[in-house]
Amino acid sequence: MLDITNIKLPLWQLPVFVLIPLAVFALAVFFLKRFAYKRSIPTEERDWSVPPIADAIYDSVINRWDVRCKIVTILAFSFAIASLKHLTPALFAIGISSLVLLISRTSFTKALLRLLAIAGFISMFLIVMPFSVPVHSNDTVIIFGKMNWLVFNLRGLLLAATIAAKAVAITLLMEPLLSTAPLPVTLHGLSKLGVPEMAGQMVLLSYRYLHVFRHEARRMSSGMQVRGFRKHTNIQTLRAVANFLGMLLVRSFERTERVFDAMRARGYKGRFPEPAELHLKTSDLLITALWLAAGSALIIFDRIICQG
Amino acid sequence: MHEPHQHITRPVYDTQLFGARRLYYRYPDKTLALSDINIDIAEGERIALVGQNGSGKTTLVKQLCGLLSPSSGEVFYKEKPLEGEHLEKSRLKIGMLFQDPDDQLFGHTLLEDTAFGPRNQGLSRQDADHAALDALKRVSLIDKAYKAPHNLSFGQKKRAALAGLLAMQPDVLFLDEPTANLDPRQEQVFLDLLKDYSGTLICISHDLIFLYELCNRAVVLDKGRIHHDYTMSELVSQKQSLRMHGLDFSFRLVINDSIPEKTNTTLKSSSLEIINNNQLVAFRDYQYRYPDGTLALSNIDFTICENEKISIVGENGAGKTTLLSCLLGLLEGNGDFYFAGTLVKPRQRKALWQQIGMVFQDCADQLFCPSVKEEIEFGLVELGCSRTESEKRIKEVLALVHMEGYEERVPLHLSGGERKRLALACVLAMNPKLLILDEPTAGLDPQGEELLLSILSNLDATLLLVSHDIFFIRELTKRTIVMHKGRIIEDMPIKAFLEDERLGSLNGLSYSYRDKSSSTIRRLQHEHEHRHIHKHLHIQPQIHADTAHFDLYEHTHDHSHHFTHSHPGEEKEHDHAPHRYHDHNHPEHDGENNS
Amino acid sequence: MHISDGVLPISVTVGGYIAATALTAWSAHRSNSRDLPKLAVVTAAFFVASLIHIPFGPTSVHLLIPGITGALLGPSAFLSIGLGLLLQSLLFQFGGLTALGANTLMMGIPALICGWFFHKFKGDSMMRQTITGGLVGAGGTAMAAIILAALLFTGGEDFLGVAKIALAAHVPVIFIEGLISAFTIRFLARVKPELLELSFKDPAKDTHA
Repeated sequence: MLDITNIKLPLWQLPVFVLIPLAVFALAVFFLKRFAYKRSIPTEERDWSVPPIADAIYDSVINRWDVRCKIVTILAFSFAIASLKHLTPALFAIGISSLVLLISRTSFTKALLRLLAIAGFISMFLIVMPFSVPVHSNDTVIIFGKMNWLVFNLRGLLLAATIAAKAVAITLLMEPLLSTAPLPVTLHGLSKLGVPEMAGQMVLLSYRYLHVFRHEARRMSSGMQVRGFRKHTNIQTLRAVANFLGMLLVRSFERTERVFDAMRARGYKGRFPEPAELHLKTSDLLITALWLAAGSALIIFDRIICQG
Repeated sequence: MHEPHQHITRPVYDTQLFGARRLYYRYPDKTLALSDINIDIAEGERIALVGQNGSGKTTLVKQLCGLLSPSSGEVFYKEKPLEGEHLEKSRLKIGMLFQDPDDQLFGHTLLEDTAFGPRNQGLSRQDADHAALDALKRVSLIDKAYKAPHNLSFGQKKRAALAGLLAMQPDVLFLDEPTANLDPRQEQVFLDLLKDYSGTLICISHDLIFLYELCNRAVVLDKGRIHHDYTMSELVSQKQSLRMHGLDFSFRLVINDSIPEKTNTTLKSSSLEIINNNQLVAFRDYQYRYPDGTLALSNIDFTICENEKISIVGENGAGKTTLLSCLLGLLEGNGDFYFAGTLVKPRQRKALWQQIGMVFQDCADQLFCPSVKEEIEFGLVELGCSRTESEKRIKEVLALVHMEGYEERVPLHLSGGERKRLALACVLAMNPKLLILDEPTAGLDPQGEELLLSILSNLDATLLLVSHDIFFIRELTKRTIVMHKGRIIEDMPIKAFLEDERLGSLNGLSYSYRDKSSSTIRRLQHEHEHRHIHKHLHIQPQIHADTAHFDLYEHTHDHSHHFTHSHPGEEKEHDHAPHRYHDHNHPEHDGENNS
Repeated sequence: MHISDGVLPISVTVGGYIAATALTAWSAHRSNSRDLPKLAVVTAAFFVASLIHIPFGPTSVHLLIPGITGALLGPSAFLSIGLGLLLQSLLFQFGGLTALGANTLMMGIPALICGWFFHKFKGDSMMRQTITGGLVGAGGTAMAAIILAALLFTGGEDFLGVAKIALAAHVPVIFIEGLISAFTIRFLARVKPELLELSFKDPAKDTHA
């Protein structure tokens, strides 16, 4: 136990160090969620008679980038980030991702919503890991008052923070990856990269009917509410939810037959018509090369410099 | 005894498009869906395919488009059997409009969806897009070309689905209930689009007035057989035959005869005064904003008294559904809302369900239990009824909706009309102070409508009816609220509303073609007593010593009966041709025995 | 619960992708290729179903339904789950692009096992189907939780605490899922029993046929 640095803090500082940051974090998430939700509702009807270049309002380098290069690069870069082991390069990765987000001129609100969605999972790590990692040599631990069983290990906090930083860096790239081209184009790019064409078509179909089933589910749940149904923790609720679920599935299986009939009636023979053709330019490859170089640099930084 | 016949007095066309010969179809579970179908369809015909729910109309249409293949018999398209390569090719020239446009709009954007068919026809991307844009222009959706289908209104979706077919320039269009759930204005738009279409049309619908306007030939299906195949005017004029097939919509026509009494406009103010006695619902300066800030309801001011029968009309998107959601406590707006004299605050809002019941437009949104009994019990359990009380109420309401003995049946397996009545029973079992009906007639066949109407008109409850169906409104309610763009623009007695032509044009509620058609049909349905010698077929037991069998038996006889036929005009001479085919009962045969 | 980016070691992430891709290809092969568009539409419904929240004391849990997915879709379930998770990470805010493979394994393997178990033991009576449904509902969730814990533990002993907590958090879910699945299967057995037969299986590739 010689090389473990012990920091003893009085018990009253436990709330200061743990509970207060926690509360602040929770409050921030709550308010940001409300804010982002309000911002994410479209206020103005756009002109639907012209093709959207992307979901984003502005044109940018990322929008004009060949979709295949974009997918390959961002995926490879994401894996590079995922392989990082130290906090500093992970923070650099956040920097690069933010820069890309800025260049792509995609919606910050949507990026924020994505970050908030992982907040729960990530905060579990931030809360649990400092207390749960085993104490190794060279660790710095904080002990509050006489509560010897509750050891706050700074190495755990560092580990959790690294995970959080990596998650944030990758999540920030989602908007530049997905919102800079219409979904069918992105999926077409995937199919050009060797993913079976049907996979993309299945995503599109699922996406389309997701909205239909969500509306159906919403109407069914008002139907239940109007007859006095409120969810509680009891068997009655579970039975009602099971009926609801069963009905949702029955309706969807029935609908899928009709959809398939409608497709066949319009000449579907197992293949979807191909969307627009893609053209690769040198500049596309250049951006890919540049970006992947940045990714490699991060890994080198992580493995060699931080290790040393 | 009523026997199928195929009497042909329809215009003769040159080229045959479809033909079916001795067509039989069994569902995978072996129930017979179609039997002995023989039909010829010529190019350019406009055919109404009618029959009760479950009579096999949709199955027949699926056979003709090649979505199902016959169990036995053959279907011809352009003189070749509809199978194999010929089927693949033909499909690209046969359009089918489904009842629910969401089934058909599977593309990511409207343009992509509309171009799906033309692309399958082998057009290049540019040409397909061109065809798609043309079709979207025809249905006035060109400004929504890049919108996702799920962001469209119902009427727009319906037109988009049609555009997807028109882009393929089909030779023939099959339509399944094309006007279901459309408001009168949208219905008119749709009717005009279909009238402009020059190819062959085959239309399934329960709305005979609409069909009368669109089609010239009528095919009546009953239990999977073709019972009649004649002209549209023959169909609507033969009341008994309509009744036998559960298609009698004449109850909708009768009311037109009673001309609304003279009304004075002062009634409007006086009716509002009476209301103050025992108000059930009162909205005062109420408004509702969607989360995105759009005003969905504004300046809502109205009152419903106990035992009042009131209707709300307005185009799709006028705010009717939002208003109902506020009334039911599902949404909360700004302003005062009183129920039974108390101001509704969040706590009361959550308890509104105990007092207000609603029958949804689509029963599938409301019925989710595995048995009828559990379905009705669901609300009663939430109300805290004892078991004996529940049993009693279930019996009562099932009797009320003419569904005695249905306790153990599965709601999902019931017919459309039965499901509607079950939904009504579920709501009535909870003894609501206010009963709301949202488009109760959507998807019902005329027989189902008539039964529902008789149940509803005998109900002793405060009633709020939301509908496009002027006939139901007139029959069931005394006062009408007209909504337009989230506001109440009129609140008037029903008689004044019916006379007010200005409202029709303002609100898209005008059914001018319906009124015209109705009066024509009424003339066609002229009925009188009649006697002549005629031949007819009937089934009767034939007993020869020990063996008894049933057989079709043709014989000639003479008796008097009611005869419905067309009159060209009130004064003009007209023909009561004795040989003319018509259906009527032959009651004296029931006791006959040939041995 | 889905694993987010950056948690798993890179070897597990890549390995998860490879294993998930192989299983997805197998699942697609076992499905009737004609029916793939139908499977896509049904996947949307399972996705919506997984958004249902059930109150549990002061908090609420959302359904995972690997059991029902497996029971209704059989070998096609893995493809359906992969598609659903891809959709989730593409279009909704639940990230996990790099963890997609691992997440698909976590939900898909239990679904495959549940599907096999359900069709092996469901029998003909409604009672037996209900009980089997309940077992696969609870078992599917339990397996998913164990795989989740195991995946987290691949990060080393530092992750043991988190893995234990994740496992513990699933205990109430296991019970809720079990009951919901039993009731749902009973509902389907009464209302539309044909759904309990596999809808998308390719008869030509069925080894039992």
